[in-house]
Amino acid sequence: MDIFKKTPNIRFLKYKWIALLITIFIILAGILNIVAGKGLKLGVDFGEGTLIRVKFKEPISVSSVRGLLSDVGLGNSIIQETGKDSREFQIRTMETKTTRQDQEIESHQIMADRVIKALQGIETEEQVAKSLLDLNNIDRNTLTSLLGQVFPDQAEEIAGRIIEYRTLHGIISDLNELKKEPASVPEEAIDYLRQKTFLGKLTVLSRETVGPQVGKDLRNKAAQAIIWSLIGMLVYIAFRFKGVEFGAAAIFTLTQDVLITLSIYSFTSREINLPIVAALLTIVGFSINDTIVIFDRIRELKRTMRKESLENIMNLSLNLNLSRTLITSGTVFLTVLSLFLFGGKVINDFAFIMLIGTVEGVYSTIFLSCPVVLFWNAYIKKKKFHK
Amino acid sequence: MKKKLQWKLALTLIVMGLCIFLVYPPKDKIKLGLDLKGGTHLVLQILTEDAINAETDQQISRFEEVFKKNNITYAEAAKEKPGRFFFRGVNPDQEGKTRDLIDQYTRDWDYSFTGDRVVFNLKQVAAQFLKDQAVNQTLETIRNRVDQFGVAEPVIQRQGSDRIVVELPGIEDPDRVKNLIKVTAVLEWKLVKAGPAADEETLLQESGGKLPEDAEIVRADPKRGYQGYYLVSRVATVTGKDLRAVRRGVDEWNNPAVHFTLNADGARRFEQVTGQNIGKQLAIILDGRLQSAPVINARISDSGIIQGRFTSEEADDLVVILKAGALPAGIKYLEERTVGPTLGSDSVRQGLISGLVAVFAVMVFMIFYYRLSGTNAIVALLLNELIIFGAMGYFRATLTLPGIAGIILGIGMAVDANVLIFERIKEELAVGKNISSSISNGFSRAFSAIFDSNLTTIISAIFLFQFGTGPIKGYAVTLICGLVANLFTAVFVSHLIFDVFIPMNAKRLSI
Repeated sequence: MDIFKKTPNIRFLKYKWIALLITIFIILAGILNIVAGKGLKLGVDFGEGTLIRVKFKEPISVSSVRGLLSDVGLGNSIIQETGKDSREFQIRTMETKTTRQDQEIESHQIMADRVIKALQGIETEEQVAKSLLDLNNIDRNTLTSLLGQVFPDQAEEIAGRIIEYRTLHGIISDLNELKKEPASVPEEAIDYLRQKTFLGKLTVLSRETVGPQVGKDLRNKAAQAIIWSLIGMLVYIAFRFKGVEFGAAAIFTLTQDVLITLSIYSFTSREINLPIVAALLTIVGFSINDTIVIFDRIRELKRTMRKESLENIMNLSLNLNLSRTLITSGTVFLTVLSLFLFGGKVINDFAFIMLIGTVEGVYSTIFLSCPVVLFWNAYIKKKKFHK
Repeated sequence: MKKKLQWKLALTLIVMGLCIFLVYPPKDKIKLGLDLKGGTHLVLQILTEDAINAETDQQISRFEEVFKKNNITYAEAAKEKPGRFFFRGVNPDQEGKTRDLIDQYTRDWDYSFTGDRVVFNLKQVAAQFLKDQAVNQTLETIRNRVDQFGVAEPVIQRQGSDRIVVELPGIEDPDRVKNLIKVTAVLEWKLVKAGPAADEETLLQESGGKLPEDAEIVRADPKRGYQGYYLVSRVATVTGKDLRAVRRGVDEWNNPAVHFTLNADGARRFEQVTGQNIGKQLAIILDGRLQSAPVINARISDSGIIQGRFTSEEADDLVVILKAGALPAGIKYLEERTVGPTLGSDSVRQGLISGLVAVFAVMVFMIFYYRLSGTNAIVALLLNELIIFGAMGYFRATLTLPGIAGIILGIGMAVDANVLIFERIKEELAVGKNISSSISNGFSRAFSAIFDSNLTTIISAIFLFQFGTGPIKGYAVTLICGLVANLFTAVFVSHLIFDVFIPMNAKRLSI
């Protein structure tokens, strides 16, 4: 099967000015958004606040969650619903103003504790005061020893099944759930648990706090990774294609890959974390390799079609490679789409930026890489020649 | 030609077998990262200055003793800052003798005389040594505490000059472990001179509003049921260092408590002090907070009990820290990441589902688009996955969530090489070449593009590995493995499959 019955003949280079305008427009909008609209936000990895993921026993709305947090003065936290049933939320507390820098992480942690406490509400405190244990947060050993007081023989097994059930579902909403398969906890044990424990309102799925020192280190490392891999790629390209114009085109493509992707990303509420940096570098790698394949063709055709203008050769190369460009990006797009749809919340930002990047990579390869070489030849090389 | 083919086939089978061997059984061979398994990742900093401070204090009291013994008079000894102290009012006539003494007793401190002052400065090398020692001791102590607490497969590593990374898989109560690691755990027994009092002023009224030279003030730990301030002796009767054994037990009311036994030296001092002070209180102080102050009822020699309204977990934890010993310096948390078991197993499941969907989607597409040749690409793809896991098993690499993303991304990229080759073959066929030469031209012409494209991504993955932390390193590893495997599967194995299944004089190629 073929996408195109015969080699297509689309004059891509005719659209170079339009493409350039679109690119400039997106990048300018992005820069404006980042500078004026506070578009691009740094995530927890780079040392700002705490990220907590929680799951509630009962469905609850974002505004109720915000209400609970406002009561303790944390209403400015970013709250996002992550599950499908209004029970899972991701809460990001914003930076605190503390006087001493070395206390900052401790204060982040205190704040995280405050968030959790505020969400648990007064009920939990009352229950704890009655010296009941929270079955939704109890650890295996404590549960085993609790059950052991009445069911010495089965304690370990029952505790194991309860913990397993809780791990699978995240939280136990109702003790009656435990009666059924697969937990199948005996009736007597449930009655006993009813006396000795209560079901906490929420469970903490994950919690991340990065202090300012490590945040700064991670920023440095991310910057180093970006700079060194860009240098690495450029050196390789310069070595492979012994022409300055190709090097220039590569730098240009690379820069605008990063800028366009980040610009689009800045319009979402997503944050920049380490995986996003990794995704950006992967996108650049992909886009560069697409560009290399085209340049490879141009070089090959230049030898065989000496009379043809460079612009025509470029058009032909783009057309010859068009189905390849579309298919390879298409398969990557498919896999990233699967990651985006089914990969879960933790990896969602990564999958999202990869989606943008894959599409953007095709665009930049087709519409932008060749014109740069043309411009270079037309303006910079000519000037030198005239001298 | 036939013979060559056999060799190639054998090589492919060997690689396959090796990879299966390396990764089987996957449960043992592939380690899951904390983000998948659940657990806590902590980065902590050791306040190495504490060790310098302690050394400075020790050195001052040591020289005070030495000078007194050798009749060297001075007005005052004082610490300026950690690593720097002075003796003031030294008789200039005794300078020579003082110098001799200092030279005799220390090599780690530089000193200089200015007027009636001797100023001591800790040498750079000695300071570095002390800091290093503090870090290593802290590492060892933390390891002991974690081991005693009972964590399976903890990772405790030094990072840089003064940081320690602690990874604790499968922890259900991270706060408890965090506190367990952080407490300095200096345990002291000191005689109570006065107290309790509501504030420091009331406490000092008896001694005329001034702190006696041989005493100090400690606050009681309200959690233990004691309130207010106590005046206790400055010198400890015994400390945590004198403990021979500790074990968890109960007190006479059946409440959780900790029983201890002292070593010979400690027991002698304990016996002497308790014998002379019957009826008085002996304070048990942990990290500067009074835990309890039992009345001495009789002479006690080598064993006793620490009580104080402990919960059973608190008593367990106290045993752990007393067994593992005190930290030589304070620590501070720099980073904490905790992933609960639910989120971890969700991530594994979601990663698996999205991986399977991705493989399936790509397979369907390849067969739909390239027909029978598509199956060739699929075989290469599956082999590629197998090699990734084999390599991970061999390198004992850790699979993380971004690592799974890297593998899934690799699925898309693995067929990229096949696409390049197949498109080239189609072009060759279109200009009328025969099938067998189209295939070999397709492979050889596409090679440079495949090589370039894999290499550019490998370059960035290498730097990600170099500068990345945990999960990102996992991503870089799977990406690199996938790309390298790709060169083998797409170029070598796919070619081999064509050679085996497409006869030299084939008339049709399903592509």
